Amino acid sequence: MDSCLGVEQDLDKAISKLFGLSEHADRILQDAVQQIQDLKNEIANIPPDTPLTEGQAQIVKETTQRIKEALQHLATDHRDLHASVSRVGKSIDRHFIADYASVAPKAESFMSDTNRPIVEQAIAEHLYRQGLEEVADEFVAEAGVTGVERRSAFVSVERIAAALAAGNALPALRWTEKMSHDLRNDDLPFTLHTVHALKLAREEGVVSAIEYARAHFPRHAARHEQQLQRAVCALAWCAKDAPPPPKQYEHLLNAKALGAEAAEMFITVACSLLNLSPCSALGGAVRAGCRVLPALHDMRAKMTQPRVRAAYTTADLPLEVDLGEDGGAHHSVFACPILRQQASEQNPPMRLLCGHVISRDALNKLAQGVKLKCPYCPMEQSPSEARQIYFS
Amino acid sequence: MNEIKSLEHPTLKVPYEVFNKRYRAAQKVLDIEARQVANSVTEIDGGVAKQAKAGEIDNLLGGMVEKLISMKRKASEAISEELQVAYVCKKRLDHLKEHATLLNEPTSPQVRTAMNQWRKVRLDRMLVDYFLRSGYYSCANKLAAAADLRDLTNVDIYQAAMEVEAGLAARRTARCLQWCADNKTKLRKINSDMEFNIRVQEFVELVRAERRLDAVRYARRHFSTLEPAQLPALQRCMGLLAFPLDTEVEPYQRLLDPGRWEALVTQFRSAHSRLLAPAAPPPLPVALQLGLRAANTPQCHQDSTRVASCPACQPPLNALARTLPHAHCTRSRLVCRLSRAPLNEHNQPLLLPNGQVYGEKALKEMMKEHGAIICPKTKEVFCMKRVEKVYIM
Repeated sequence: MDSCLGVEQDLDKAISKLFGLSEHADRILQDAVQQIQDLKNEIANIPPDTPLTEGQAQIVKETTQRIKEALQHLATDHRDLHASVSRVGKSIDRHFIADYASVAPKAESFMSDTNRPIVEQAIAEHLYRQGLEEVADEFVAEAGVTGVERRSAFVSVERIAAALAAGNALPALRWTEKMSHDLRNDDLPFTLHTVHALKLAREEGVVSAIEYARAHFPRHAARHEQQLQRAVCALAWCAKDAPPPPKQYEHLLNAKALGAEAAEMFITVACSLLNLSPCSALGGAVRAGCRVLPALHDMRAKMTQPRVRAAYTTADLPLEVDLGEDGGAHHSVFACPILRQQASEQNPPMRLLCGHVISRDALNKLAQGVKLKCPYCPMEQSPSEARQIYFS
Repeated sequence: MNEIKSLEHPTLKVPYEVFNKRYRAAQKVLDIEARQVANSVTEIDGGVAKQAKAGEIDNLLGGMVEKLISMKRKASEAISEELQVAYVCKKRLDHLKEHATLLNEPTSPQVRTAMNQWRKVRLDRMLVDYFLRSGYYSCANKLAAAADLRDLTNVDIYQAAMEVEAGLAARRTARCLQWCADNKTKLRKINSDMEFNIRVQEFVELVRAERRLDAVRYARRHFSTLEPAQLPALQRCMGLLAFPLDTEVEPYQRLLDPGRWEALVTQFRSAHSRLLAPAAPPPLPVALQLGLRAANTPQCHQDSTRVASCPACQPPLNALARTLPHAHCTRSRLVCRLSRAPLNEHNQPLLLPNGQVYGEKALKEMMKEHGAIICPKTKEVFCMKRVEKVYIM
């Protein structure tokens, strides 16, 4: 936020100065045109063959001189804006990281001749998946991408979600109807009914919304009592001349936000039922990458010593990044709590008799002959009693 | 440090550069036009000093009015163009601020949805940027139109580049030379030999058309101001005069190769990108690579352990992930293979007698459904009693 505000301050200053100058310039030039025009008209009244009188000559001289100076001032005023304009650029450089790619020294390799087609294949798949067929077709033709299937299982899900985001819950409701068996414990059907009821209230009036609610809400009453109450209450603010709704209902009455939320929920639910990934591989990876980048920049900022820096450029992603609640863990990774390193086939996780899990290398190190004391609890046991376990 | 600060420098800097350029252009317009008016003022002064007749002065004043009107038009055009780009900067800044405001709000489903929408827009922006920098212009235009991103991406800024490239592809050099002249100082700063290569190509074309004398004249006109470093290249180029068109002698055969036009297009594209965003690959491959690295695990490369939702598991990106090192990990991070839910104190890991670990919730669900636990991996059947706890530190 600070970085945005910092730049915004300078940019606003430059814009307001420029805007002032623009109005000023218009005025000055308008005046100048007017004055000279007036002067010209005056002179035109004099018979063309007579020379100007002293006084007239003086007026002509003064007026033109004044305008000349005013215009030169205008040019200087504009030149004086240079400081404000270039301050915006400096502000951007100061508040944002210009060489953001320096922490990913190998990123260029993805643009190489062997890797580029793979990246572009992923892009094309992503575009088809988003239902942007026209763009994707154009891309495939322009970039010469091969080996991408035009049809994606995800497209129908995306279509329904797009309709839902636009406020039309009917396709999604038909879909949940078909899947009702798998969805009986899910929040999705009720959310969709709510979206539809509120849409009816907006478009056809509260009465038809209430009718719809009567027909469809009771089935979900047991699981969604509170939400049901809220949804019905929200109808009170759907009348044409209703006062602004209280804060807790604003969200339900904002058609766009509600639609987007329902669409997202639909995508998550549908994808888990159809065993699809809720976001494209490209999208998922880019999103994770965007989270990693600031962490790397943080680390670089902390490591100012040149020698440390040199060591770092050769290491690969030398830190752990929390990828967020829904962006991260796809696979189980077991890291031995003793050795602080990832388990592998050669060094698998072992469960001790007491239930604690350490890696085999750690176990061998801790064992003293036939005796082993668990590092986490007082239990003594024999190393041979430990068993290999599998997380994946 | 946050994602905005780390990633969005070019988003603001590129339109700023255009803003700066327009500012300078407007300054030039104002200076030139003011000088024009000043000239006609001097003329009038001269007329008055000579005690010219009223008709003459009237004429001169008429000329001045014309100049003033033209200045008014040009000045307001130039300044409004300036303002226009400044507003583009502002618009992008507002877009970035949206992200910052979302970050500051407490997490709720609404905020999460809005954030996901914002991320989607960011991905589209990255894609458009990637397309533009790779020269896929019509695709970039289509995506920008479909996602309504004209102001948030550089589509309009690259419009000129697109025209230059189209010119080069049709073997016309005028636009490219114009561009080189417009950006002379900046091109010199990055040591680009773009203009030289274009001139060489024009020279070669004259030779190809068997207008060798014209070629010599052309060389006299344009190659006399070269820098010493370009001398060897120039000598090679001039040597071409001595060879027939179907020569097989290198490097002259290469000079006559029509493929050089394509090379010029590529060179122009990279020079153009470098002027706009110096020394940085597009954000898309950077983010993609870092993301794949962070998601990359040994399980991503075994058929039995691949997961649909993992970006590094599925082809085609899997092939890229294979070339990258695995994510660094010093703390265990476990996921239930059945439900894909994380294993923690709310969903404890449980061990089957065959050594396989699954989540408590998924196993209970399975008990409810089938009355027994069937290990999905080995298909062995167990009852709940034989399940043991494991403690992960």
